[in-house]
Amino acid sequence: MALNDRTPSKLTTTPALLAIEGLSVSYGQINALKKVSLDVFGGEIVVLIGANGAGKTTLLETALGINTPLAGVIRFKDRAIGGVAVDRNVRAGLCLVPEGRGVFASMNVLDNLLLGAHNNLKNAGKHLGRVYDWFPILKKRKDQIARTLSGGERQMLAIGRALMSSPELIMVDEPSLGLAPIVVNDIFNILRMLNKEGYTILLSEQNANKALKTAHRGYVLETGTVTLSGSAEQLLSDPGVREAYLGA
Amino acid sequence: MEVFIAQIINGLSLGSIYVLLVTGFNLLLLVAMIIHFAYPQVVVFSMYITWLVLQLTGNNLFLGALAAVASSILLNLASAPLFQKVMKKRGEVDINSTMVLSLGIGMIITDVLSHSFNKGFPIAFPDQLSGKTALLRVGLISILPGQVSSLVVGIIAVSGFFLLLYKTRAGRAFRAIAEDPSGARLVGIPLFKTGIESYALSGLLGGIIALLIAALLGSASPDLGEQVAHKVLAVSIIAGLGNLAGGLVVGLLLGILEAIVQGYISGSWSNGIAFVVMLVVILAKPKGLFGIKL
Amino acid sequence: MSLPLYYFLSITAVNILMSWALYLPYRVAHLHFIIVANMAISGYTAAYLILTWHLPFGLALALGFLIGGVIGYVVALFIGDAPTFAVVIVGFTFIYIVRTVIENTAAVGGTMGIFGLPNIGGTPVIHRWTMIAILYGLVLVVGFLIHRFDHSQLGRAASATFVDPELATSLGIDIKKLGMLVQTFSCTLAGGCGVLYGFIFKSFHLDYFTFHLVGILMTVIFVGGYATLWGVVLAAPVLYGVPLLFPPEIASWRIVIYGVLLVLVLVLKPEGFITPRFVYTIETFLSRGRRKRKFP
Repeated sequence: MALNDRTPSKLTTTPALLAIEGLSVSYGQINALKKVSLDVFGGEIVVLIGANGAGKTTLLETALGINTPLAGVIRFKDRAIGGVAVDRNVRAGLCLVPEGRGVFASMNVLDNLLLGAHNNLKNAGKHLGRVYDWFPILKKRKDQIARTLSGGERQMLAIGRALMSSPELIMVDEPSLGLAPIVVNDIFNILRMLNKEGYTILLSEQNANKALKTAHRGYVLETGTVTLSGSAEQLLSDPGVREAYLGA
Repeated sequence: MEVFIAQIINGLSLGSIYVLLVTGFNLLLLVAMIIHFAYPQVVVFSMYITWLVLQLTGNNLFLGALAAVASSILLNLASAPLFQKVMKKRGEVDINSTMVLSLGIGMIITDVLSHSFNKGFPIAFPDQLSGKTALLRVGLISILPGQVSSLVVGIIAVSGFFLLLYKTRAGRAFRAIAEDPSGARLVGIPLFKTGIESYALSGLLGGIIALLIAALLGSASPDLGEQVAHKVLAVSIIAGLGNLAGGLVVGLLLGILEAIVQGYISGSWSNGIAFVVMLVVILAKPKGLFGIKL
Repeated sequence: MSLPLYYFLSITAVNILMSWALYLPYRVAHLHFIIVANMAISGYTAAYLILTWHLPFGLALALGFLIGGVIGYVVALFIGDAPTFAVVIVGFTFIYIVRTVIENTAAVGGTMGIFGLPNIGGTPVIHRWTMIAILYGLVLVVGFLIHRFDHSQLGRAASATFVDPELATSLGIDIKKLGMLVQTFSCTLAGGCGVLYGFIFKSFHLDYFTFHLVGILMTVIFVGGYATLWGVVLAAPVLYGVPLLFPPEIASWRIVIYGVLLVLVLVLKPEGFITPRFVYTIETFLSRGRRKRKFP
């Protein structure tokens, strides 16, 4: 079975929730992404695997609207969003849990969560209730300054904040970075749970073991280009992927 | 002893004006990401416009107050595109460009005021604003209603501001941008729109400050903007640029220091002493007492 | 030499020198406004000593430079590597304090000023020619020194510090020493200028050492171009001379016009009119011209 095939999916007849085609992004002289194409269908968990500097963060941030692409098309819910402002994309249902930056350390848990609802404050109460149900520890610590939370709690807060904007697609940039293995397990359980609740998830990871066991499909990104794609099982069993990304 | 207490009250009113000015300045620094050296001059400009409106409407205090707030908000919003244009990096304070631009704006305002309004002579505000009869007389010092009301309004304004900062949507966005502009962007907070909101809020504060100064001093002159600007800037540097709580403390301290000195030494020197004290502190700690955000 | 020409030339020379005194520290992003205070301190001190102790002019001028240098050096010990806004506020504060002291000191004329300084060389004519000679001699010397600085290792270090002081430090540049060097030089120059300025009119008045002067100097370096010394050479005579041609009603709005020019330049042409690239183009053009002339 050719590993570059797009895995046939029951969703191929409906357009992808997020469709990226031929995306090229550069920072000055540096070409961070070169003609990248990928699709995320509704209800999936898709993982982006790549080493440091491969372009994972650039890809997610460009989809969010931080960078304007040099070339290529990004479509979300079948509308072109290349170069659209971030807050508009958030309102449309796209959001990002950034790597290491999703939490404002000087503000308390509640304020952090409310920031997530900045563009949709009317329904904040409802969403807050749901976030508290899923993450009771956040409810317990709601008046605590975010700086005092543990690494895992902060990651939960970042995810909770993203949920407050009632997204359809949640992008998560390296959720396991800097967290102890047992905490990483918890985070991935949370992602699985959210997916079952109906959220589509696109995540990026360096150490792909856990991610591939959680995801449905994946793409491998190397120095700005997609070198491999397939179902999670295919990627898990690929020797190249095992050697480069599946660690010990 | 009574003189001392009277001067403390005086000092607190003056101090709360400094605190509001530092707060407006810090707000623009933290959220709009500009250094606005001429923020106090814009306030004085509003004072002049208020005076004009008062002259034209026969001292209608309500319209005057409206003029103060409206003109201040408009002036601040009007300067926004200029600042946006000279800022080289989005999401970071461009110290040099915004500083020099604001110095230029201050130059223009001060000189326009000394040319066109009242032929450059100081303007006087009606007695109704500061109150004619003293509430309290202690020796040669009397406390006018204007001083008390400016202290009370000052306290309300500062509290209102902090309430806004900690309890409202806009305030949350301000704090997020103040802590981490690029992080705020990633979370979906519109930097540009929120920046404009901060210009408007600084304008609102500026209008209130204009009225408070009018009530406290009863007059204004073209130089007032510059003098106050330099003191306010010194206060913000000493407190640490971007440090709101520090600005509160240092602003009040300066007000009290000035009032006490004024109570015992003649006017011209009291200014000089305030500057000497501030100069010594800045030379000793150019990065501020409590550290800078930048 | 006619009186108007004398005034124009001498004041322009002082403007060039003082603008250079602001230009140099701005190479490391310091707006060293204290130089206006230096002018006042050295000028008034020299005037006082000349009038009460009959100090000869040459000595007074040297003293003016020295006082400027000492103050500049001592202050630079504290703010040689300070952030830009701290330097600005120190400058402003100094100006305030100096003005307040002078205003309240009867011995130096308070708000009335000091008058009646003697002619150098005895007669008004010799005085004027001597002043022009000294001033333009100084312009040549200072211009040469600054030119050498800009095209040396120090100049490159300054440019690096301007863009990013932390990066400059990690490259091995001692930003404090560099800052102290440029600040001390500026203050020395400003001190001498203060004395010389007073001798243009043979009097000192507080009206000159104001924040207006700060604004004028800023306009000169930013409109002229803050990245090369030639910006000052162009902007100082033009900005001073052109308003003289206007009728008095318009000329009195000078400061507003300068302010508007400053704002316009910052928004539309931030590098000023004379940019380093422009200077480079001129230099290449001239050297090509020289080479062409060698062939008959």
